[in-house]
Amino acid sequence: SGSGSGSARAQPLEPSLLRFLVCPLSKRPLRYEEATNELINEELGIAYPIIDGIPNMVPEAARRTHKKPPAEGSEQP
Amino acid sequence: CRCRALLSRPAGALRARRGLAAGPEMHFGFQTVTEEERREKIYQVFETVAKKYDVMNDSMTLGIHRVWKDILMHKMNPCPGTLLLDVAGGTGDIAFRFINYVRSVRQRQLQRKLKHHQNLSWQEIFESYQKDKFNSLGDSQVVVCDINREMLKVGKQKAQHLGYSEGLSWVLGNAEELPFDDEKFDVYTIAFGIRNVTRIDLALQEAYRVLKPGGRFLCLEFSHVSNPLLSRLYDLYSFQVIPVLGEVIAGDWKSYQYLVESIRQFPPQEELKAMIEDAGFFKVDYENLNFGIVAIHSGFKL
Repeated sequence: SGSGSGSARAQPLEPSLLRFLVCPLSKRPLRYEEATNELINEELGIAYPIIDGIPNMVPEAARRTHKKPPAEGSEQP
Repeated sequence: CRCRALLSRPAGALRARRGLAAGPEMHFGFQTVTEEERREKIYQVFETVAKKYDVMNDSMTLGIHRVWKDILMHKMNPCPGTLLLDVAGGTGDIAFRFINYVRSVRQRQLQRKLKHHQNLSWQEIFESYQKDKFNSLGDSQVVVCDINREMLKVGKQKAQHLGYSEGLSWVLGNAEELPFDDEKFDVYTIAFGIRNVTRIDLALQEAYRVLKPGGRFLCLEFSHVSNPLLSRLYDLYSFQVIPVLGEVIAGDWKSYQYLVESIRQFPPQEELKAMIEDAGFFKVDYENLNFGIVAIHSGFKL
């Protein structure tokens, strides 16, 4: 992990991409989470990372997001 | 934390559903490998050659690959406003050509528009320049999708170096499982990439899915030379010269050995045409370049 620390110098996602991008597995829409620089599939509870401005949209790269209380969005280990 | 294959995908059931009836053995060049091994090996090939990819293309094809790609672009003949998905587009050759093409078409459009407005004041002419300056691509866009991070890195760097930024984006994704919504793109291209896809049928199905109705599929790929004399010369060049070039220029004989072998293993023109038709495309056709060393296949989603 340690992806949170990388987001300081992370390049933002090209905004126009959000029009096209979906989860490769379910083909359902994604939510862009600026805090962690990830694309989240809420339904499946997975997040795809954006590295150097390039979204990594292969299932192998996704991590599970855990249901967390609506407090701080702390990074799961 | 991030782990590989976190999601419990029942791989066996998935493969059965996808009709992978031919068994686990596949070809990697002339070797026989499992599907998983093939994906890994191909990933490694491109990881290794990424930085030298363009140089090698120029050396191996004596620069002719540039002409092939230009021909592809002219065949596409995109108008401003076109949305292009370039799959396996790693280092950006097709994407940059697309941008250049729509930009010049757009320029001519604007010039024609201005010529017709003969009675405009200088102020009006100035304002119309300003308005269109921020739309030099006419809302055209290209998304480059590749499975290999190193190839995308090289592509992105090239883009920066050459000054391409507007209308261009990069996505790491799998041609067999595209991360794009249905019916979004006007054109789908795959140039010298489909040969390296393990499940071509899935890639073609995905291409069909993401294209809008009326959208076009274009594939530029090494193909089969039917002329026997030419075929012999081509074989000689491929097997004697190319791997040596690979070793001398990129320090990598094996990757280029894979390249020439994979060309021989790839379906010939008619077979690929049938596969494209199977995916649902209509008016499927192909054009041989250089006697079939390379072919452009085209199909439409109607």
